[in-house]
Amino acid sequence: MSHPEHAHADHGHAAHGDHHHEMSFSEKYLFPTDHKYIAKQYMLTGMIMAVAAGFFAYAFRMQLAFPGMSVPFFGVVSPTEYNSLVTQHGSIMVFWVAMPVLIAAFGNFLIPLMIGADDMVFPRLNRLSYQLFLLSAILVVVGWFVPGGGFGGAWTSYPPLSAKAEYSLTPAGSSIWLAAVAVEFAAFLLGGINFVVTAMNARAPGMKWHDVPIVVWFICIASILFMASVGPLIAGAIMLLFDQQLGTHFFDPVAGGDPILWQHLFWFFGHPEVYVVLLPAIGICAEIIPVFARKKLFGYRAILYTGIATGVLSFFVWAHHQFVAGIDPRMANVFTITTVLISIPIAEMVFLYIATLYGGSIKFSVPMLWALSFIFCFLIGGVTGIFLGASGADIYLHDTYFVVAHFHYTFYPIAIIGTFAGVTHWFPKLFGRYMDEKLGQIHFWGTVLSFNLIFIPLFFTGLAGDHRRIYNYNNFAELGTPDLQWLRILATVALVIMLIFQVLFVYNFINSIFKGKLAPTNPWKATTLEWTTPSAQPGHGNWTPETMPSVYRGPYEYSAPGRDDDFHPQNVP
Amino acid sequence: MSGDAHHDHAHAEHHDHSKFYIKVWAALFVLFLISVFGTLTPWFFVTIIVGFGIALVKAYLVVRYFMHVDIEKPVVHYALIAGLALMVLFFAAVSPDVLNHEGSRWVNVAARAEMERREAAHAAGEGGHHEAAPAAGHEAPAAEAGH
Repeated sequence: MSHPEHAHADHGHAAHGDHHHEMSFSEKYLFPTDHKYIAKQYMLTGMIMAVAAGFFAYAFRMQLAFPGMSVPFFGVVSPTEYNSLVTQHGSIMVFWVAMPVLIAAFGNFLIPLMIGADDMVFPRLNRLSYQLFLLSAILVVVGWFVPGGGFGGAWTSYPPLSAKAEYSLTPAGSSIWLAAVAVEFAAFLLGGINFVVTAMNARAPGMKWHDVPIVVWFICIASILFMASVGPLIAGAIMLLFDQQLGTHFFDPVAGGDPILWQHLFWFFGHPEVYVVLLPAIGICAEIIPVFARKKLFGYRAILYTGIATGVLSFFVWAHHQFVAGIDPRMANVFTITTVLISIPIAEMVFLYIATLYGGSIKFSVPMLWALSFIFCFLIGGVTGIFLGASGADIYLHDTYFVVAHFHYTFYPIAIIGTFAGVTHWFPKLFGRYMDEKLGQIHFWGTVLSFNLIFIPLFFTGLAGDHRRIYNYNNFAELGTPDLQWLRILATVALVIMLIFQVLFVYNFINSIFKGKLAPTNPWKATTLEWTTPSAQPGHGNWTPETMPSVYRGPYEYSAPGRDDDFHPQNVP
Repeated sequence: MSGDAHHDHAHAEHHDHSKFYIKVWAALFVLFLISVFGTLTPWFFVTIIVGFGIALVKAYLVVRYFMHVDIEKPVVHYALIAGLALMVLFFAAVSPDVLNHEGSRWVNVAARAEMERREAAHAAGEGGHHEAAPAAGHEAPAAEAGH
């Protein structure tokens, strides 16, 4: 790679003459090309979708705790509705909450700011990416209201259930859902190309590869993983759409098709997808921990290389989702080994974060609390994953609530805790104001404690054999375990409490945007470049031509010896 | 004068380029003809070599010259190689499940019946194998019921 150039070099004439001109309403909010506003659009859309997905979880958890009751604000949940609710909860949380917020919103906001560029290198492509994403979100919402209701074949969409309307009972919903997923993938392909090209070509003068902040690295690695893995699933989705609408039999065993082929196509994408959302979240923690521990990130290169190793290994583990699906047992052995292997780089990364904390001057501000709870919760998710990754143990545990609890212990820290960590940390840069610290602390403890209360009971119901795809346990003599019902009720009550605590966050978020205490340019005394721009800039562009930063050192110089203040920003000679 | 010379030079270079691409196109066309007529031969291995081998050569020519990969930066080569490697990985790991019709504890009854029926039809109608295809869909359920 030759010496990096500024992104603004090419469009300098257009952008810099009117560098600080006020943008019109439509330039700013309807058709923005500024990465900061596109980031906010992604974030807002993701949060709205999260409210819907959270509500769905509430409705089906109430049905499990109190079967047949009329759920407040929903009504009686029918079996078909139950399937739809579970499916939509899962797919929305993965595709329309975690992806847009963690990759698209933080990627858009942080990459240009952290590498010292005025914008993405393809701003219009960036706008198209969001517009396609919005279209996909609208499509999936439309799917809830068509005859038959929203798709109910689970977020993994296994055929033959998903391939035939008479099985899934959602003839139109299933095809609309598939189309929405396909459009969404197109949106993230455009976004991912933009992230990688921007990070490769638009870095500030002097910023070498090992001066790039970890979160930028990890968002780029995640984008590459996404681009490399999504092809088989798009091919599979089209084949499944043909099965649904044109009467083909790619995945129909009755006509010689192969349902296992879908599982391979899906999980070849689906497992790297876990790391696609994990890497940005764990990268966010890598930014927060040194700031609030006032200590240099321990082992920058080791963390970077473990991230790359995780990304590469994530392509070799997918069939651990299929141990009981009838795959070749010899392949099960291979995939057990690769799955257990992937815990090595992740565990190393966790150790490096803990080593960063060791001897630091730790301040338990709200972003730091979220980052630390990420490590705690994700650790539980990772350790329980080892049981499921071993094919022998998985034969018993597969499709029980143990699996549900496990992946929520990985995915909740990623999608929810990671998001809260990022939002609370960069809020002063996003909106130019502080969030309320006290409300933030109450929200943190309420959310994290109730989250653990939801899913720890489910480990036990799962170990006791609770099957996960059951509408009403009382319908099955051998599955109706009344002595476990109190655990199901406990999990549901904890969920309701957790959802109530989110009202506090929404209030704090909106109130702080308008009435929060004004924040200075660098409120956390951090070293990375985003803290050198004025908070909440009015116009397109991040720096004036005179203030464009140059980089002299790595991104985590805290407790720097020989300095009066305890940090040494990247742009200060 | 020097401007003219430059112009002539550029023109000649442009001409050379076109000539080169026309050569590649001609090679692709010849390969295409071979792939069409090669499949008409009665030997199975020839049709396989023609079907896959020539397709690979053609893909190589198109990717290398028409998609300009020969003059691209190394990073584009790495991306291509990574894509090919992932394809090989996916195929290798999926084939034990999907290309087999039976395993140690399972049998894909419908697929095997379909294969047997086609083989029988092929053996019965050597030379007239074109008639076998349309009947396939109708007889498959019967074969399924037989098991």
